[in-house]
Amino acid sequence: MARLLEFQGKGLLRKAGLPVPRGRNASSPGEAEAIAAEIGRPVAVKAQLHAGGRGKAGAIRFAASPAEAHEAASALLGTEIKGFAIDSVLVEERLDIDRELYVGIIIDSARTGRRPLLMFSRDGGVDIESVPDESIHRLHISPQGGLEVYQVVDLLVGAKVPDELLVPLATICSRLARAHQEYDCFALEINPLVLTRQGELVCADCKMQIDNAAVFRHPEMGIEVARDFGHEPTPLDLIGWGIEKADLRGSGFVMDMGYDGVSPDYIGFHPIGGGSAMMAMDALNQVRLKPANYADTSGNPVGSKIYRVAKVVLSQPNIQGYLLGGFMMANQEQWHHAHAVVKVLREVLPEKPGLPCVLLVCGNKEEESLAILREGLADCVGATRVEIYGRDRVTDTLFIAGRMRALVEEYQAELKGGDRARVR
Amino acid sequence: MLEFAERTITVRIDTAACGACEAKACVLACETYSRGILRLSDGLPSVEHLTPSEVVRKGTECLACEYECRVRGKGALSIEVPVEGLDAYRAAQAAALAHDRLAGEGVSDGHPD
Repeated sequence: MARLLEFQGKGLLRKAGLPVPRGRNASSPGEAEAIAAEIGRPVAVKAQLHAGGRGKAGAIRFAASPAEAHEAASALLGTEIKGFAIDSVLVEERLDIDRELYVGIIIDSARTGRRPLLMFSRDGGVDIESVPDESIHRLHISPQGGLEVYQVVDLLVGAKVPDELLVPLATICSRLARAHQEYDCFALEINPLVLTRQGELVCADCKMQIDNAAVFRHPEMGIEVARDFGHEPTPLDLIGWGIEKADLRGSGFVMDMGYDGVSPDYIGFHPIGGGSAMMAMDALNQVRLKPANYADTSGNPVGSKIYRVAKVVLSQPNIQGYLLGGFMMANQEQWHHAHAVVKVLREVLPEKPGLPCVLLVCGNKEEESLAILREGLADCVGATRVEIYGRDRVTDTLFIAGRMRALVEEYQAELKGGDRARVR
Repeated sequence: MLEFAERTITVRIDTAACGACEAKACVLACETYSRGILRLSDGLPSVEHLTPSEVVRKGTECLACEYECRVRGKGALSIEVPVEGLDAYRAAQAAALAHDRLAGEGVSDGHPD
């Protein structure tokens, strides 16, 4: 899911009529100082990154004056927190907290759900995950009818919310539900929803995740990559996203796994299906091979999309092999994989002669697919270590990984003995 | 030369070579693996029976025609499948590795580390 930074989410909440603290985003200490001066009160300086637990990680600092805001921003900007480079901070008024609540709406994908689910707890703030289940109050929202105010009031009464907060809280929940729908959110969480000592409710934080498939409807959000990475997108990630962003004909996923381009024993990894990928990774681990990338071409993607994924996977420098791992009896027509992979390997193998390629394709149109692979690669320049397998090896992950390992060792010995260029 | 665009690819057929092709395997492949957008017209593969927008809409980018033409035809058909950003990525990777190699050999490539 595409995640928005806190300041972006709060901007959208403000437009939806929800109360957020006064403040703006700053990309320099001077800007942070100026914003703090505008606010004219103590402020919070919050590093903007796509990760939770910022308070415990030291990513949120408080400043009593503009000069302190300058200092706090200087300490945060340019650092790395939880693997993310900090290039901006949100400077906003510090709230006078009386109580922290939690309210969130997610898409409940369970069989009994399949609708947005509103969750409310009087025990918000840090460690929301450890709040007992009975303290989380839930209400499914009709996708057609939306959220009725009386439904929220019922929920809040059940949660023993004081009478004077029922109407303001119900209003916030209703507006949140509208925002959730309007912005095509997968998840929209406010934690904490702060009750100030002055009796006001304010959205002190905002976690907003947009449905990847709906990102194209929201160019105003400026989402560059609609994927939930645990790191800043790398060039390989961006290329992978380029394959998918405007082409929803099946999955054609490629993601960087942190391969540095020089370490030994990394292979180009092209599994077919997520479960298949997990099985293959386990087996690769057992033979001391590592995937340079993650990929997936399932859901009956078109040949061009499979070609792009395979081409990107095989373009990584110094990989020691290529595994097309279809460890499942796939329903999709596998011959599209065969045509695509033949095209790619005929382009790549002349540049990387002898590169080990283990190709496992099982399922619908399997015989035809295997025939295409064998015929298409029979006269391919550089295809000296290509092995092709079908259903008799469908779950035999250790065999496939073992063959990969054996071919990789052969290849490495050949490279060591030869005088080939290092960049291949 | 016949050239037409599908949604994300470009297909080019050197129709001068097609006259001598007995297999016409591209047309059969298109029927088998896709939606039959390639048809024979005066003995040559053609998409004349469709408008360009119909070609884009009906083409499934299966890549089978290129394969069949190479294996059973005259190798007259090529498909361009652009990958956004890949050329720049490969150039950057090659440059970085070449730089590292030169540095390892104690040779400067003129660029600061």
